[in-house]
Amino acid sequence: MSTENTKLIKLDKAASLIRSGSTITFSGFAHSVTPLAFIREMIRQRIGNLHLIGVGEAWAVDMLAGANMLSQVSFSNFMFEGYGRCKNFSRGVENGLIKVEDFSHFAQISRFAASAAGVPFLPIRSLLGTDVETSNHGKTSKIECPFTDETLLAIAAVKPDYAVIHAHRADQYGNVQLFGNSTSIDEQIRGSKTIIVTVEEIVPEEEISKLSEVNTIPSFLIDYVVEVPYGAHPTGMYKYYSEDFGHIDYYMDLSKTEEGFNRYLNEFVLDVNDQWDYLQKIGLKKLHQLKADPHLGYQLPNRLAKED
Amino acid sequence: MGYSTEELMIVAASKQIKNNEVVFVGTGLPMLACLVAKATHAPNLYMLFESGIIDPKPVHLPKGVGDFKLLKGATKSTSLNYVLTLLQGGYIDVGFLGAAEVDQYGNINTTYIGGTYDTPQLRLPGSGGANDIASNAKRTLVIMPHQKRKFKKNLSYLTTPGYLQGSDSRIKAGLKGDGPSRIITDKAILDFEPTSKKMRLLALHPGVTLEEVQGLTEFELVIPSNIETTQEPTESELSLIREFDKEGVYINKTN
Repeated sequence: MSTENTKLIKLDKAASLIRSGSTITFSGFAHSVTPLAFIREMIRQRIGNLHLIGVGEAWAVDMLAGANMLSQVSFSNFMFEGYGRCKNFSRGVENGLIKVEDFSHFAQISRFAASAAGVPFLPIRSLLGTDVETSNHGKTSKIECPFTDETLLAIAAVKPDYAVIHAHRADQYGNVQLFGNSTSIDEQIRGSKTIIVTVEEIVPEEEISKLSEVNTIPSFLIDYVVEVPYGAHPTGMYKYYSEDFGHIDYYMDLSKTEEGFNRYLNEFVLDVNDQWDYLQKIGLKKLHQLKADPHLGYQLPNRLAKED
Repeated sequence: MGYSTEELMIVAASKQIKNNEVVFVGTGLPMLACLVAKATHAPNLYMLFESGIIDPKPVHLPKGVGDFKLLKGATKSTSLNYVLTLLQGGYIDVGFLGAAEVDQYGNINTTYIGGTYDTPQLRLPGSGGANDIASNAKRTLVIMPHQKRKFKKNLSYLTTPGYLQGSDSRIKAGLKGDGPSRIITDKAILDFEPTSKKMRLLALHPGVTLEEVQGLTEFELVIPSNIETTQEPTESELSLIREFDKEGVYINKTN
């Protein structure tokens, strides 16, 4: 392939592609693989009124909710692992600013899987008999199996306008590699319309082929690729860097109140020009501390913890 | 050796797991219960995590199911869809659940409390994998604190199925798994009366009275003629827990 086929674009340009009012999904599970540099840029550009269709991307939803950029959320679970409720998101729902539709993880991933497979629904065995079966505005319907007598639940496909994914590396044509478990990323990519992937590093095409045994997403599924080192911080990337629990503690503390979160927003998003500026603020020493041990794939416990 | 209530609960939960079983594990006490079971009576226990990790041999205690420490020594590293499809396929023997509220039939609420669905007083995290686990695992174990505001006559929202309206309503709804087998609290172990499927007191932790447990429960518990006392953890079980969690991630928290 020639460089004419390149899908590389800059972070600010990529974020500006998202239209206010669209449906969008993000990678992210617990404190990992969340495209937070992209989300910080979306907040700086004030792209709002979004309908987030999520599985477990707690960091994405809580940042966007705190910045008042969400009007609706369809999801299965938003919780900060080890910390509890997502305070900005919960406040938004409690104040009536964010409309919600609840699903289970399997129901929600099946909605993506249905659209990935090009069918309008998939039959599942979850949700039956509960309030989750009925409180999602007609996205489920009980059906009789045409081959057996069984009762199943048809769950409607969903196809967000955008999927924004943070991955480990890619080539410029959009062949993307993920190290470790893939959580809901495969279904989010195949089940959405326009796919933007931010990555830790861009590598030559032949480097992708050399490691073809890792989870690779073929380039024809990908629309744009953005190189963003430490693009998931303060969440972690397996084999690259661990979660920044010091920063996460700070976030959890401030997000207890709206005023507190606004201080966080100013400090780490609005008063920051770009990702490089942000990384300066986090500091070299911290970034070094978070670096993954090549053998374990995560930060050695207590590395340099005593010096600060 | 003295022990904490959490340590008693971990050991009680670990005893509910049999060797060779496939277990869907969540963050916190279930993770330690499984590690204890695997190190004692269930060496061939398989652990699955909704993040897509199967059968890990972590060398550092993971802080949660999304922690990369769980990738160490895993037999398979895959996706959320893969492990939840296994669950629906009937491959999972035991699943762990937590609860903000539970009713007398073991139905669980983790969605909201008070107000309405659209404007709740308190918005909670939602189902996540819990509804899927409770619908499809062969049996489930619920671990939660015993408080009157949590053991409720009426739930604000039914997120995760127990025995629904009792008797055979769970089967009639089309649910495949057998439902909750035990609820382990900081006061007692409970199960369900086989016909009515109403919650029944099975064992009291040492030093806890029947009146205390009923007083912390909004609905009337089924009380059998013989109430057991929960077995105290042994020294070797306590040493195991404290070795696994030497940093105080889940128990005896240092910070």
